[in-house]
Amino acid sequence: MKKRVILFFALLLSLVTGMTAVTSTTAHAATDNSLTKVEKKGTLVMGTSPDYPPYEFQATVHGKSQVVGMDVAVGKKIAKDLGVKLVVKSMSFDSLLVALQTGKVDMVISGMNPTPARKKSVDFSHTYYQGGYSIVINKNDKGIYKDKDSFVGKTIGAQTGSTMYNESKKQTSGTTVKGMTSVSDLILALQSHKIQGVAMEKPSAQAYVANNKELAAIPSNFDLSASDTSASVAFAKGSTALVTKANKSVDQIKKQNLVNKTYLPEAGKYLKTNTVNTSMWHYWKAFLTGIKYTLIITVCSVFFGFILGVILALARMGGGGVLRTGLRWLATAYVEFIRGTPMMVQVMFVYFGLGLIVNLPALTSGIIAISLNSGAYVAEYIRGGINSVDSGQTEAARSLGMSGGATMRYVVLPQALKNIWPSLGNEFITLIKDSSIVSIIGVSELIFQSNIVRSDTYRGVAPIAVIMVLYFILTFTASRILNYFERRMQHD
Amino acid sequence: MTKPIIEVKNLAKSFGKNDVLKDITEQVNPGQVIVVIGPSGGGKSTFLRCLNLLETPTSGEVDFDGQNLTTLDTKKVNELREEMGMVFQGFNLFPNMTVLENIKLAPMKVKHLDDAAATKLAHELLTQVNLDDHADAFPSSLSGGQAQRVAIARALAMNPKVMLFDEPTSALDPEMVGEVLSVMQELANQGMTMVVVTHEMGFAKSVADKVWFMADGYIQENNTPEEFFSNPQTDRAKDFLSKILM
Repeated sequence: MKKRVILFFALLLSLVTGMTAVTSTTAHAATDNSLTKVEKKGTLVMGTSPDYPPYEFQATVHGKSQVVGMDVAVGKKIAKDLGVKLVVKSMSFDSLLVALQTGKVDMVISGMNPTPARKKSVDFSHTYYQGGYSIVINKNDKGIYKDKDSFVGKTIGAQTGSTMYNESKKQTSGTTVKGMTSVSDLILALQSHKIQGVAMEKPSAQAYVANNKELAAIPSNFDLSASDTSASVAFAKGSTALVTKANKSVDQIKKQNLVNKTYLPEAGKYLKTNTVNTSMWHYWKAFLTGIKYTLIITVCSVFFGFILGVILALARMGGGGVLRTGLRWLATAYVEFIRGTPMMVQVMFVYFGLGLIVNLPALTSGIIAISLNSGAYVAEYIRGGINSVDSGQTEAARSLGMSGGATMRYVVLPQALKNIWPSLGNEFITLIKDSSIVSIIGVSELIFQSNIVRSDTYRGVAPIAVIMVLYFILTFTASRILNYFERRMQHD
Repeated sequence: MTKPIIEVKNLAKSFGKNDVLKDITEQVNPGQVIVVIGPSGGGKSTFLRCLNLLETPTSGEVDFDGQNLTTLDTKKVNELREEMGMVFQGFNLFPNMTVLENIKLAPMKVKHLDDAAATKLAHELLTQVNLDDHADAFPSSLSGGQAQRVAIARALAMNPKVMLFDEPTSALDPEMVGEVLSVMQELANQGMTMVVVTHEMGFAKSVADKVWFMADGYIQENNTPEEFFSNPQTDRAKDFLSKILM
């Protein structure tokens, strides 16, 4: 037993060191080919978290949902000056810098402040915008709160990983600071009185107040150094050539005051068109896309997960011979490892970690990660199912001259499948729900789409209610279909 | 002299420290019906299962049709198993398939018969065991006697040279034993080589060419049924017969 544990940790250790080695080699790539790389592929990929109007947000333009805002305008300008095409990639704010370091995106423009801490891991351009902070509160509370110091004993919310979050923590005393991933969640929390104020950048605050009559903005009076209120473009560490080029564009933007003169008013226009129709019906296309991707991810993952599960189960049941014993140990280690780590971490590992070696799109990464995860669970069901089939069945088949493989395929597996069908059905239904995890890497499944609709419409609850019903319809239909097949398999 | 179809030489089988078969050397000639009897736990079933290598012998050899099974690779063993049909105490029908599908499976997957040919064959065999009207039934709806007859038909579908029966009537209600035994008797009449492990002494007396009395891991006696039942040689056999013939 002890030996087994040691072997397992040795395996784990080699895996980790392997990954670290890969990471460090990439980081030490000294030659700066950032510019040539972008010019060669003809696209400049910009990462952003589109829930921060007017910096960046989703808007329906000519019937299509796309990311707009002043940051996108800045990105377009940089791309245009480089003579390449801009590609916008959406993901959560927390994931942005990781995506930059792992080469998923070429730059990040997301109202990001060039703080000293961030400067350690990425390079920043000159600042393209100098903002300030406001605190958004409920209009009814306007008399109670004056600035950051009025929230003693109360709670202020801020976007997790943002400068506001850190500063709110540092510069208030007796105030609880609550972090959430998206600003729309924060506004919802504010309106349902879970928190009393939301710290955000001034232009964002103005946008929210302009679109929601129940909100008001007050000055924050945070004591801020210049870097904390400014926004810069982030690039991967060591891409000096690209930064130099981008700085030229940024300097031009500042000199011509493009942000205030052109970009912000344009973004404002989108904000207005956006809020004309906030009915959920208006967004049926967005939800449909969500359903489509949720189903694609689930069905693909169930399919590949099942195949992987069968292979793992067979490997785990093998024995005799060095090769088969080795395979058994490997399969066991895999199953234990996958079941012992959160799926969310696995999804991020596949997208960002494997991304260092092969550049996989988010959807593919999501399907791979969930299939790998599901395979481990399915393997255990199948192993149990195979064991549940009476050994007399195998003997009967073998005595008829059938090979081990044919016996497994035609006699044992069909019966095992019948026995474990309810468990497999549960796994399928669980996957429909768990596929939502891939929203963190920006796959437009249901949760991701609902977040877009929420930041689009400034309505917090309605989209959640809609996807709740949609999820239920999906899982309920799936369980009806599974029951039908279960009944059809009942012969004894 | 006819060449034996099964030849067992110094066969031994142990499970861990438990020596079930100790040293068995016997042979079966084509067309012979051998009935193996003896007290429970004497190794009868293990012996039968060693003949088609469902159990791997610990030592010794099993020759089938002149080939030593214990030295052959898995593929060759699979091929030779086709020639040895086996019927089990617990029927071991495939519960997820109809009677017809049970019989068709191996001919189609192993011998690669097409569906029509396999169906025709299955119906013929079912007629032989008087069950053609149950072709589309699932095993769960059959009585024990019917299930065992289907199992016999299934084994016959591979057109074996030898049929091995491992206590085929032990799991049956008494009133169903007859229908199974009569099918087996008919097979014997047709000249099928059979090795039958059973407690049915009547069957042994009327159908067997040879009775092998097995106890304590050895074949203690090998004789004609007339000789064995009227004049057993060993004390072990006398003791056994006195108990069951009471």
